[in-house]
Amino acid sequence: MKNLRLKAARAALDMSQQQLAEAVGVSRQTINAIEKGDYNPTIKLCLAICRTLNRTLDDLFWED
Amino acid sequence: MARALGVLAGLAVGFAIVALLFKKKVIDMTFDERQELARGKAYQYGFFTLMGCLFFYGLTDTFLGTWCDTLTGCTLCICVALTVFAVTCIRKDAYLSLKEKPAAVMTLFAIIAVVNLALGGVYIASGDLVQNGILTFRAVNPIIGSMAFLILLVYLVNYVLERGEGAE
Repeated sequence: MKNLRLKAARAALDMSQQQLAEAVGVSRQTINAIEKGDYNPTIKLCLAICRTLNRTLDDLFWED
Repeated sequence: MARALGVLAGLAVGFAIVALLFKKKVIDMTFDERQELARGKAYQYGFFTLMGCLFFYGLTDTFLGTWCDTLTGCTLCICVALTVFAVTCIRKDAYLSLKEKPAAVMTLFAIIAVVNLALGGVYIASGDLVQNGILTFRAVNPIIGSMAFLILLVYLVNYVLERGEGAE
């Protein structure tokens, strides 16, 4: 399932996939795979993304 | 004896070049978690390919007779396995590490391909590639050259396809 909330949060900060990738220490392709729902990140990477985007885990990764 | 020394000298030069490339950071091994997972799967495919190739090589050598030098046969199997590993990594965007520059690595592959294929051409022209119906150790150069060329080709095709998808 696509993670549109992550994409929206990134876009809200006017960040590119490359910028977010560099901020959390992964490749651009990994951020792309997470947004497309092709890869489930570890909690460590989820936390790094949340801290960078100033969001909570619930905001970006929790599905009801 | 001279041949063994030649092979050892070649291996020593190879190791020295790889060590230098690591030192100059042309080759780096820093991967993220998705890449590590993808590379693990690729290692698995490469490992089973190597097993299959070695078994097939052993079978043909036993039942059809010697058709190639032992070291060449082993190198051929290793190159097939490495190609499977590299292609799987490239398809999953896990071949280059976070610090490697694509242009530098692909230039390196292009040089490896051109040099080895050119040497292969020279050996074919001089008739050293096959002696008494057996593929000699000289075949290692065109085998490695073909592998490098194939990896380079797959990388470029993947790069073009990915560019169509584009970064956001």
